[in-house]
Amino acid sequence: MDRRSALRNVAILLGTAISAGTTDILFSSYTLPESEKNAVNFSAEQLKALTEIADVIIPTTKSSPGAKAAGVGKFIPMMVRDCYPAKQQQSFYNGLAAFEARAKKTYKKSFALIPLVERKKMLTTLRQETLDQKTNKIPEKADLTYFFTVVRDLTSLGYFASEIGCTQAREYLMIPGRYDGAYPLKPGQKSWAT
Amino acid sequence: MNLNINLKAENTYDAIVVGSGISGGWAAKELTEKGLKVLMLERGMNIEHIKDYDGAMKNPWDVKHAGRLTEEMKRTHPVQKRDYPYNEVTEKWWVNDLECPYTEVKRFDWYRGFHVGGKSLMWGRQSYRFGDVNFEENSKDGYGNDWPIRYKDLAPWYDYTEKFAGISGQNEGLEGILPDGQFLPPMDLNIVEKSVKESIKQKWGNERLLTIGRVANLTVPHNGRGNCQYRNLCSRGCPFGAYFSTQSSTLPAAVETGNLTLRPYSIVNHIIYDKDTKKAKGVAVIDALTNKTMEFYAKIVFVNGSTLGTTFILLNSTSDEHPNGLGNGSGQLGHNLMDHHFRCGANGEFEGFEKFYTYGRRANGFYIPRFRNVGSDKRDYLRGFGYQGSASRQNWQSDVAELAFGADFKQKMTTPGPWKMGMGGFGEMLPYYENRAYIDHSKKDKWGQSVLAIDCEYKENEKKMRQDMMNDAAEMLEAAGAKNIKTYDNDCYPGMAIHEMGTARMGKDPKTSVLNEWNQMHEVKNVFVTDGACMPSIGCQNPSLTFMALTARAADFAVKELKKGNL
Repeated sequence: MDRRSALRNVAILLGTAISAGTTDILFSSYTLPESEKNAVNFSAEQLKALTEIADVIIPTTKSSPGAKAAGVGKFIPMMVRDCYPAKQQQSFYNGLAAFEARAKKTYKKSFALIPLVERKKMLTTLRQETLDQKTNKIPEKADLTYFFTVVRDLTSLGYFASEIGCTQAREYLMIPGRYDGAYPLKPGQKSWAT
Repeated sequence: MNLNINLKAENTYDAIVVGSGISGGWAAKELTEKGLKVLMLERGMNIEHIKDYDGAMKNPWDVKHAGRLTEEMKRTHPVQKRDYPYNEVTEKWWVNDLECPYTEVKRFDWYRGFHVGGKSLMWGRQSYRFGDVNFEENSKDGYGNDWPIRYKDLAPWYDYTEKFAGISGQNEGLEGILPDGQFLPPMDLNIVEKSVKESIKQKWGNERLLTIGRVANLTVPHNGRGNCQYRNLCSRGCPFGAYFSTQSSTLPAAVETGNLTLRPYSIVNHIIYDKDTKKAKGVAVIDALTNKTMEFYAKIVFVNGSTLGTTFILLNSTSDEHPNGLGNGSGQLGHNLMDHHFRCGANGEFEGFEKFYTYGRRANGFYIPRFRNVGSDKRDYLRGFGYQGSASRQNWQSDVAELAFGADFKQKMTTPGPWKMGMGGFGEMLPYYENRAYIDHSKKDKWGQSVLAIDCEYKENEKKMRQDMMNDAAEMLEAAGAKNIKTYDNDCYPGMAIHEMGTARMGKDPKTSVLNEWNQMHEVKNVFVTDGACMPSIGCQNPSLTFMALTARAADFAVKELKKGNL
């Protein structure tokens, strides 16, 4: 018998079949902390803004499509809602709202609807504020700068885990099959995705 | 209690193996191949080879959270989340800490996998023999008790287990420190690692050596299993069967005999002691799904529930004759808990190799065997450490300005950048009696069982050693011409190396040890413990290969004794 089919035939006893002198053990109760998932909800306008922010952070270039094409616009809100404690979700949400408010105040429009050059300008300013915040620690800017740090981080994470990021921006080998520790670098060689 | 005689017969085997990880799998294979009817009990779910490796063929974009932990994962796995092994893709293979709590008197990171195969599915696969230095050191410096065996006793069993498991590696002639073995062809060092190897040789001659890691990954097809495909996704389960696990190796061999019964969802609560025969007569089991209890009986019991799992079972097996736990007349059961200390070393960048890159993802690194406190070397601490590491080519992320974004950022993140090498030490921890695990009756698990309390810490000897672990790494990188060398100590707590060992140690004297030279309980002759609990000292080598060899050796002895009528 070959190993794999032998394994399929393994005798597995399950459940209630056998018990000599069965007694129940008391199920001791324990309480679980509350789930912190999905503490915030993003509006359609905010989702659009996140998509465009991501696409400035990782834009389409000659080599490959950018974050928007790679689906990062959906990845960011999903990650914020699944992977951050409620308090941080709220801080991210507040930061995004403040950023949108800033766009509307300056340009009378949502971030997603202003020209690309203005989007870059806004994010360049926000990056500088985030860097400065390390020393300035202005309470009113805490959410805004937290938002920038997270949105940039998640854009990078989501993009380089995406199919476009792995197979177009970088090069991906699902099953290399061998190892070469002195592989000649080709002209225009992209980094391996994994 | 109503005992149904027929049911009792149905529940009786020649041998019971508690646990299905690396050592339990070996026990089942050896005992069934020698003709015994074996019941292997596993406390968690079944995982079928290949079929149940859900994550094995996932691309990065198939992993929903790109490897980050969700709040829900953090909530249910407050201990497992502390380090990288617990991840989204193999989430189900790590214990739910809320269902299976324990008490940390001091911080102890207890990583557990409750399923068929145990940690053999997720292990690091580094496989090194212990040498005579390791077997002799306890008796020389007086920490711990003397090993009841020497290298020569175990050498043929290392041969035997390596040949079956399939370990790739390079023989280097370091007898005494890191003995050679029965290896499949070694994996390759990359161009930077080869250069560093050469520099180390030039500077230190025979005193220090860099070699390719000895790893339980097949470099050629072996025993019907496929060779490594260089995906470096081993811990998700290998669809090619290219690394050693219970599923890929020992379980199919045991099943093929027709002598194995495997029962998942079977939590062994205690071993049943028979005061008339002075032997174990079986085990009491809680069905993890139904909470029903039941008993199984056998002539011999192999306890392979992982070091601390085994310790719990033995401590929980009390009787009038063994009030402090089964076979614990010595009072050593639960004591002398050890783990390797690591997360400490150095890294640096290498220039001059810009024309080269790597192809494929080698699931292995290099190894630098211990060179401290051997031969004429003498330090202000006892024992020593080995290094594990690798060189690889990064992107240009180090060149990215803080929080930068845009086309230039993207370009830097997608272009091969500098070569970097990291090497981290794995240090031996001394056996200290006061480092221990004991039963905490104030807390219960999901099944109403009391839990373990763990009280364990690194001490001065380990702290001193860490200085060398950083400095020696930096020194070797410097000798090899590295730039931007940085030493690091990322802090380490017992448990993090997942090499916990020592709580039911072997020894010659029943007054000071739990097991004899055959991993047999001094006081209960038909009980054998061959997982990490048996280790009187831990060397600095990754220990699983030694568990395999000890298990095969003990199983051989047990069956011979059984046939002689001694058990």
